Amino acid sequence: MANAAPSTSLALPDDPNVRGDIVLEDPIEGREPLVRGDRDFHYITEAVCRGNELPLMKTPSTFVFGLLLAFAGFLLFGGYVGWLFWEGPGIWGNNNPVSWAWDIVNFVFWVGIGHAGTLISAILYLFRQKWRMGVNRYAEAMTIFAVICAASCVVLHTGRIWLDYFLFPIPNQMQLWPNFRSPLEWDVFAVNTYFTVSLLFWFTGLVPDFATLRDRATVKWRQLFYGALALGWRGSARHWVTYEKAYQILAAFSAPLVLSVHSVVSFDFAVSQLPGWHTTIFPPYFVAGAIFGGFAMVQNLIIPARAWLGLKDIITIRHIENMNKIILLTGSLVGYAYGMEFFVAAYSGNEYEGFTFINRAFGPYWWAYWIMLSCNVLSPQLFWFKKLRTNLYLSWIVAALVNTGMWFERFVICVTSLHRDALPSSWEYFVPRTEVLFLLGTFGLFLFLFLLFIRFFPVIAISEVKTILPQANPHWEGYAHAKGGH
Amino acid sequence: MSHHIEKPTDITVPPTSLWAKLPMIGGALAVVGLGATLGSAFGHDKARAMFSYLFAYELVLSIALGSLGFVLIQHLVRAGWSITVRRVAETAMATLPLFLVLWIPIGLLGLHELYPWTHETDEILERKRWFLSNGFFFGRAGLYLVGWSVLAIFLYRSSVKIDSLTDMGEKKKVIHLIWKVSAAGIFFYALTQSFQAIDWLMGLTPHWYSTIFGLYYFAGSILAMYAFVSLATMALQRAGMIKKAVTAEHYHDLGKFTFGHTVFWAYIAVSQLIIIWFGNIPEETEYYMARMGGGWEIVSYALPVTNFFIPFLYLVSRHVKRHRTAFAVGCIYTLVMRVVDVYWLVLPSYGAHGEGAHEPHLAVHWLDVAAVVGVAGAFLAVFGWLMNKNKVIAIGDPRLEESLAHENY
Amino acid sequence: MSSFGLLAEYENPAQLYAACERVRDAGYTKWDACSPFAVHGLDKAMGLKPSTLPWWVLGIAISGSIFMFFFQIWAMVYAYPFILAGKPLFSIPAYVPCWYEATVLSACLTAFFGNWALNGLPRYHHPAFSSRSFARVTDDKFFIMIESRDPQFDATAAEALLKDTGASSVEELED
Repeated sequence: MANAAPSTSLALPDDPNVRGDIVLEDPIEGREPLVRGDRDFHYITEAVCRGNELPLMKTPSTFVFGLLLAFAGFLLFGGYVGWLFWEGPGIWGNNNPVSWAWDIVNFVFWVGIGHAGTLISAILYLFRQKWRMGVNRYAEAMTIFAVICAASCVVLHTGRIWLDYFLFPIPNQMQLWPNFRSPLEWDVFAVNTYFTVSLLFWFTGLVPDFATLRDRATVKWRQLFYGALALGWRGSARHWVTYEKAYQILAAFSAPLVLSVHSVVSFDFAVSQLPGWHTTIFPPYFVAGAIFGGFAMVQNLIIPARAWLGLKDIITIRHIENMNKIILLTGSLVGYAYGMEFFVAAYSGNEYEGFTFINRAFGPYWWAYWIMLSCNVLSPQLFWFKKLRTNLYLSWIVAALVNTGMWFERFVICVTSLHRDALPSSWEYFVPRTEVLFLLGTFGLFLFLFLLFIRFFPVIAISEVKTILPQANPHWEGYAHAKGGH
Repeated sequence: MSHHIEKPTDITVPPTSLWAKLPMIGGALAVVGLGATLGSAFGHDKARAMFSYLFAYELVLSIALGSLGFVLIQHLVRAGWSITVRRVAETAMATLPLFLVLWIPIGLLGLHELYPWTHETDEILERKRWFLSNGFFFGRAGLYLVGWSVLAIFLYRSSVKIDSLTDMGEKKKVIHLIWKVSAAGIFFYALTQSFQAIDWLMGLTPHWYSTIFGLYYFAGSILAMYAFVSLATMALQRAGMIKKAVTAEHYHDLGKFTFGHTVFWAYIAVSQLIIIWFGNIPEETEYYMARMGGGWEIVSYALPVTNFFIPFLYLVSRHVKRHRTAFAVGCIYTLVMRVVDVYWLVLPSYGAHGEGAHEPHLAVHWLDVAAVVGVAGAFLAVFGWLMNKNKVIAIGDPRLEESLAHENY
Repeated sequence: MSSFGLLAEYENPAQLYAACERVRDAGYTKWDACSPFAVHGLDKAMGLKPSTLPWWVLGIAISGSIFMFFFQIWAMVYAYPFILAGKPLFSIPAYVPCWYEATVLSACLTAFFGNWALNGLPRYHHPAFSSRSFARVTDDKFFIMIESRDPQFDATAAEALLKDTGASSVEELED
């Protein structure tokens, strides 16, 4: 267990609210301990359950305030959906030729956010990146809520919402099936599969932790609530064998799902013939962007949450730093894709391609393009410096910038490619009308679900984090010493 | 799990093994193969010889370049598991200066035969002149080749240097420098490996363009690298080196990455195909159209099966990845399929332009074999020479112990 | 009330691991170890066979995959042939995404439900839950249960064995 060998015997302060923020040097030998402070199994249980086990009436008022705020956003969302249902998409600024605008921008934005969760829980799991265990539960929850937001955007953008069931291959009296050769139908499959698999994965991971909460419950409702969710889990080794296999399989299948979902979303654009949309790099470029934006959202949520919940020993500055490195990497990949698109538009010798990209950067929507470029490509470059990427405030700000930039990226792709189509007489400038309420509403929905999650669900994978403590290894040298002459 | 793992001592090439003779064997192959190929390049088969040569060059380059990428990534992510096999990749990477020399025939002899843009003209090509011009083309090639060589030599030398260092402070200095250079190097690598693919492969059909093309080459190149490094490591072990240092655990990981990049390659390939097929724009579909006639369609239809479904179903098994012979079969298969893939990238352009232009048709020529023998021979000669010169494992790496004790779970 | 078996409590994974090896070597078959997390290598210490789940997943994923591929062909080419976007009715590239997603979905649903089915969960009642100390199995304690239906079960011998392995307590469970 080289991962857990405490290589730096550096004296860390005892205050758990400070200790987790101390930046340690990158060791060239051994590894930094993942959980700081000499922690035992029970500490992990206590630290994580503490927040969930507060009596309802004693919920801190700041939290209640936040929840109410999010609930207001949620109500806004509900109200907006009602309005949309009643009036139809005419309340949006979409026009001809900009027939896809904020609705799709929001959809792509939210579904992209989800990818970080799947990456952490699946790809980092397969790569045995054990630090992921501190953050995977948050990120997976974020995935699910983000996909709910995304799905609501895409379900609501169809116009006649009550006919959305047409999208599914349901046997019907007309013997008509959805068109499996259409990228939009691929999207239906991709997003539904993604949501289902993420939910199953998340729930599978939660079951042993629900059992922990069940066993500690002192109140009837909590016993029933967690008891029902825990499915009678008793930590049997025979169960763990199958359970771990299932977890592995879910991870193995989610890993290509990280690639496929946003690739399919990118096909919605890329298989058309529209310059600015039709380019072969779209699938990997969208995936990189999705992971990029997703990690930024994880940072935005986790930096305040770890401080607020007092979990700095489990989610240390090293976690934040690692995620910043991923943001740097994926930000640069996105930069590569922007560059490659621009280069090939010039290289192709195709006038339409060339025009689209010049128009992006210098046309009526130049501001969106430069916001995108500076937020997505330039701002993460700060993370080349260890000092900056271990600065919590800066990390949060850059993450917020990245989220903004990623939203604008989708705006640039959708709107600027459409607003100058092949027929100059139909050129039109898109101005949003009520869409901003839609975006705010989805944020309300997202935060409301997320805060409920923090309050009632274990925010850290308790049973997994325990496995990265050195004493989880039955052959840990500490036991050999204790046994002595045995 | 034993805690005090001994450092391996079987870390130099035994003088009696085949490895000691590898430079000679490789050299002989290089002389024969390159002699035949380049000799033909002065006869009436010149065009064919140059296409075969480019194919062989890009094929073997993909291993060396993939190794450069691998080493950079291992340093950047501070990988521990791979240290016992990293030297093999480093040595493959250190052959990059050879490719600087091997490029000369392409630049001096074959430019006219290979790249129609050098002498043809039409409206589209005129618009591309800013990029597709002799001077800029040579300048870029120089930048890539010299840059790779410098980067590879630096990384290789630094790693070898650590072998003999004992002082942790000094090691730390070298390692910190490696980390810094790797960070900048990965950017250089990402751009240059994409642009070499654009210049030397996409340029074969100068009207055609695809933004994903750099990634397509990258996926195949990393895949070939994993297969090659695994095979070379097995060969080292067969010859009695690093017997205990590399275990089934390492092969399991190498196997996972081979498997993963098989999937990644398929993903990139299918992304490009779906977008171009669905878009159905003539200037893009020409690439696939050239591969859909004259026998090439057999390769085109076979590729998804041979390069994806078969290796996917074979390598998905944990037992295959952990079983040396079974995994070796998978690696050899992967390399053979890499040959097919690069062949499919390069050869359909043969004879499609200039005098006597004809529809592409699949016809394997003896020069294809000769060129691969020549370039691979030269590569193996340098690879073998460096393997003999230095330790076959990064013995001085401070994390070696972690890698020795590596377990999958 | 019949006896379900014996429940022994251990303090750490090392003790549990060593004890499991002893119980395994003693030849018991109807027994189990419980821990708050998956202890690495415990399956070997207990002599457990690998899970059969991957085979279920493989089988159902391949079936799902084949089904979706042919379903798309049937629906697009035979059931209601309709040219859209100028694409041929039978166009494999266009079938790839849904085909792929259906494969993943069938595999993941199998992995999820198969996991619970093979483990016999949900099972809301288990004799061990009546033990007070067992509540900490999801926190920081480790347990071994030997069931009385084990053919070679003998209460005194089993208790002696468990005590000898360093159990901090051994108690009897009622069915």
